[in-house]
Amino acid sequence: MGATLVLFRREVKKWVGRRPVFVMSMITPLIWLALFGKSLNLYSMFNVEQPGFAEVVQRLVEQRIMELFGTLDYFTYLASGMLVVFALFQSAFGGVGIVFDKRLGYMTRLLVSPIPRVSIFMAKILGTLFRITILSAVLFAAALALGFQVKPGITAVDLLAAWGVILLLSLGLASIYATMAFYANNHEVLFAAMNLINLPLMFTSSAIFPREQMPSWLRAIASINPITHAADLVRYHLVGRPLSSYAEPLALLAAFSLTLFLVGLALSLRSLREVS
Amino acid sequence: MEECSIKAKNLTKRFGQLIAVNRVSFCARPGEVYSLLGPNGAGKTTTIKMLATLLQPTAGEAWIKGYSILREPHHVRRTIGLVPQDLTADDELTGWENVLIQARLYGYSGNEAEKRAREALEFMGLMEAAHRKVSTYSGGMRRRLEVAMSLVHSPEVLFLDEPTLGLDVQSRRHLWGLIEELKKQGKTILLTTHYMEEAEALADRVAIIDLGKIVAEGSPEELKSRIKGEVIHLKLRDPGLANGLAESLARELGVEAEPKGDTVVVRVQSSGETLPSLIRLVSGMPIVEIRIVKPNLEEVFLELTGRRLREEEGFDVFRFRVMSRRVRR
Repeated sequence: MGATLVLFRREVKKWVGRRPVFVMSMITPLIWLALFGKSLNLYSMFNVEQPGFAEVVQRLVEQRIMELFGTLDYFTYLASGMLVVFALFQSAFGGVGIVFDKRLGYMTRLLVSPIPRVSIFMAKILGTLFRITILSAVLFAAALALGFQVKPGITAVDLLAAWGVILLLSLGLASIYATMAFYANNHEVLFAAMNLINLPLMFTSSAIFPREQMPSWLRAIASINPITHAADLVRYHLVGRPLSSYAEPLALLAAFSLTLFLVGLALSLRSLREVS
Repeated sequence: MEECSIKAKNLTKRFGQLIAVNRVSFCARPGEVYSLLGPNGAGKTTTIKMLATLLQPTAGEAWIKGYSILREPHHVRRTIGLVPQDLTADDELTGWENVLIQARLYGYSGNEAEKRAREALEFMGLMEAAHRKVSTYSGGMRRRLEVAMSLVHSPEVLFLDEPTLGLDVQSRRHLWGLIEELKKQGKTILLTTHYMEEAEALADRVAIIDLGKIVAEGSPEELKSRIKGEVIHLKLRDPGLANGLAESLARELGVEAEPKGDTVVVRVQSSGETLPSLIRLVSGMPIVEIRIVKPNLEEVFLELTGRRLREEEGFDVFRFRVMSRRVRR
């Protein structure tokens, strides 16, 4: 535990020392939110200010949008999904630091010291979870400033639960990327994997559009995509979009993340047994 | 058991078909500077990596202070300090932070960790620069920081893998002084180098390693005494006289004498004994320079392997052939 803590503090210190990176890593999600989220204004699309337009039609449109998105404001829908997608990308970036530690020799230093090998893996995962915590909080604050509509009567428990869901998802994702990084010899491999995995994972989930609107084949993929479950749970807590079952997505997400964590841990330890 | 601080027995490492280290055995005694001297690619770093538990040997065994590198790697890691050939410090952090993390990784906390970090940095003369980021350090400072990071846990055995590689003469001498200081503290030091001056200056005993094998071992003096005598270079104003002079020297003094351009190269047992009669013989000849070359480890290496220590420039056909022959076997 001691060594994990020492190395975790190194991760934090390095990250804090790199403020420009912090600013830059916020730009992409903010662009998504401010430009994409704000321009696709679902409600005003159907809000026709015209005499004779029956009030009942208007109400039906509202009802349908509420049913699908859980909010009349697409920005709020997207922002809650982006919190999850952002964690996906940050988990991937977490692996890059491992590749650099290998390439710059720091890993040799760690491997020759009498620390448990597991602490090297754990410190990296904890570092990634820490970064995601801070960045998600900042992103959420920015979303609030841009007009994010939280569910009526939101409590601290909801916020903590949403945070817990994001961390749970990140645990699994960070483990995959860390494992890849322990085996990869340059960071380009990691970026290629990121491009290959992240965008499909994002678009086949409910992070950007609701599952119900998808064609059946896509819906089938979305239902097994952990991003979907995490986004649905986060949205339930922050936006108030109802869930047919709370336990089911949570169980699926937990199974996904814990499996990947354990497999990733085992594989990473194997890779640390010998360096050349 | 405690006779050797570092004991290697038939240590072997294969990478596929290549035998990087071939049945290497040696014993470094407590308080000794033991040097592995050989050209690049001789297997020095691979040997150190195995001893430091970073690589699993294909065959053979080694012990550090009696701890087996195969069965007790944890104890070995506590006992040793490694200064690898490549720089390892985190250049986004300060020197102080790097050394302090190192102290904490070895289980020291609070004041004790800080005290050790300060001592290591002070010893390596880095305290003034301690709170600067490592990325601002010069090459010599970075090397010294590497040593400082390896010293925080007061290891009894220190591995230095090409510690002065790429340093200028001044930084090199500075580091040599510090290594001598560490030796005085009683540490056993395994030093790999391809600079023969470095091995001569620091090592109590030298193992000459080539193509993964130790080809000779002994103190620098012992190794040099393998080369018979000394070499006298006589440089003439007129190259045309070299042939004749070489012949008459060989005839009159019974020594090996060889013309090489405008110079006659004379091999003698001892320059002190031969010089008086040699000077008598050559008086009147247009000699512009007399140079006496004492044998050094470079020549020992040349004698043993037929090649020079430093051949890193360009593609070396001979070396390539030897390597591929070794692979085929």
